[in-house]
Amino acid sequence: MNVEAFLVAVLTFGCLFSVLTLSLNLQYARGGMINFGTVAYFAVGAYAYAIVTQEPPSGLDQYLIGLNGPWWLGFLVAGVGAACFAILTGWPTLRLRGEYLALTTFAFAEVLHSFLLNERRIGNGSVGLANVERPGISWADVPDSYVFAVAALLLMLVTIAVYRRILASPYGRAMDAVRDDEMAAEAVGKDVARMRFEVFVISAVPIGFAGALYAMITTLVSPDLFTAEVTFFVWIALVLGGERTMLGAILGTIALVVFQEVVRGIPFETVRSAQIAASVEHMLTGAIFVIILRWQVFERISFARSQAE
Amino acid sequence: MNSEFLIVDGVTKRFGGLQALGGDGGLSFTVPRGTFLGLIGPNGAGKSTTFNVISGVTKPDTGAVYLDGQNLSETRTPEIAAHGLGRTFQTPRAFPSLSILENVIVGADSAGERLGAVLSGRWRRDEPKLKEKAAAVLNRVGLGSRMTGSVASLSGGELRMLEVARQLVRDPKILLLDEPTAGVDPSLQGKLSEILARLHEDGTTLIVVEHNLHFLLRIADTVVVLQNGELLAQGSPQAIRSDEKVVAAYLGNDHAA
Ligand SMILES: Nc1ncnc2c1ncn2[C@@H]1O[C@H](COP(=O)(O)OP(=O)(O)OP(=O)(O)O)[C@@H](O)[C@H]1O
Ligand SMILES: [Mg+2]
Repeated sequence: MNVEAFLVAVLTFGCLFSVLTLSLNLQYARGGMINFGTVAYFAVGAYAYAIVTQEPPSGLDQYLIGLNGPWWLGFLVAGVGAACFAILTGWPTLRLRGEYLALTTFAFAEVLHSFLLNERRIGNGSVGLANVERPGISWADVPDSYVFAVAALLLMLVTIAVYRRILASPYGRAMDAVRDDEMAAEAVGKDVARMRFEVFVISAVPIGFAGALYAMITTLVSPDLFTAEVTFFVWIALVLGGERTMLGAILGTIALVVFQEVVRGIPFETVRSAQIAASVEHMLTGAIFVIILRWQVFERISFARSQAE
Repeated sequence: MNSEFLIVDGVTKRFGGLQALGGDGGLSFTVPRGTFLGLIGPNGAGKSTTFNVISGVTKPDTGAVYLDGQNLSETRTPEIAAHGLGRTFQTPRAFPSLSILENVIVGADSAGERLGAVLSGRWRRDEPKLKEKAAAVLNRVGLGSRMTGSVASLSGGELRMLEVARQLVRDPKILLLDEPTAGVDPSLQGKLSEILARLHEDGTTLIVVEHNLHFLLRIADTVVVLQNGELLAQGSPQAIRSDEKVVAAYLGNDHAA
């Protein structure tokens, strides 16, 4: 296995998916909201980027819109689009509690998935949009993969900075109060409904940006890239890392990405062995999941760190 | 009419088969601005439910509550609080993930609770003032030396005082306290009655639910007595002490003056 490519992939996808885990951490650990439709906001970002940047349809294309816009416009629209989708889905659902919110957000993501699958005028249906444009940025001989790794790292750092700024402010204090005791928080004028809604929408923006970056990297967006598996991946990462800290969220994500990349990097001679490896991957994921949950490895590490801070 | 700051008008509330508030015409009483009202009555009389209806926690089945001319029954709890109504709960409520000082600061409306102000960092200017004010309030309720501690380290009585402090830092126009002396030691009770007398002097409207009549009847200027969700009597503390119906229903014969 090429060690360098491996490290670059871990850095890229570790940072990229950490953006999702961090957003989930904000929504769940600090905002008390269970979002089981995370992939939807990611998908909206990716599709928004593809649609804004791609050329108008021609030949066999079934999609209707291609704006041929610059990459940065696509990137911005990805964030705005994810926020709009959060407004649309958050408005009717955020009054729901716990598992009900989980169910409805999950349902919204499934609806979006089947919409993208069946409505060919958005993104060619199941075929998806291939040849998604990459920004024409290149520094001398630096390969694209390095540029994307740096971009993912930057996106993650900016996300952390913004979330930290929110959490360290009176807003974060009021969020903690709301999560601890809604009734007491409302008795001192904290608008629980407003705050939840704002947190839900704000934290969708980086997820949308991550979707755009993901589309640039894969140069393909299609419904089967955006299944509930992405949501579960992010939730497992969050649970692995312990929900209490941002560092935990990142560690959990990177651990999961490393594991996936290792499995992916193993060369297979036959289809049969690849199938076996796939099922072993699932079993191993489960086993690791149990081990880490049982001993709360990352949670201990990151919590000890935060105590020391 | 102008002086009627708070109007409870024909309020009824049922929980399942139980008529918690208001029999026939519903519960009605008015509270002029600046009044110190004692709200008393036997267990289950509907005192806490009355607080819940006034503060928007519970919506009445019929009737309405008006504060300063505004119909609170159509207003959500945080907006009612923003209107200057403060309340405590019969079972003290605190925010365990915040420190004791933060538990009080969070009572104030900080500019930094708006996302725009958060991202621009504009709130930082006000924070020291808020801290100072919260610390002063904590001193007044006898928790001045505990500011950095955690809520888990507080006793039941101290939690009650913490909740009072969180309301005081908001400078409410009208403050509702649900059994503030329950489980609070005599020296703290003394502090509390000083605080209430001071608020009363400054023109804050107060409604205090208490079973500790020794505490309440000395400082309240009007008393409302509830029984089975209905108004049994309203009057000065002296009049209430000697009211035959109240003595029979609530005070018992030992109290008869
Ligand atoms: N959420 C609720 N669900 C069902 N019943 C309730 C609810 N809240 C109050 N009740 C009932 O309504 C009646 C009035 O209760 P409330 O708490 O207002 O009494 P109280 O006067 O505050 O009594 P106490 O002095 O014991 O605090 C009681 O019989 C109580 O059981
Ligand atoms: Mg009560």
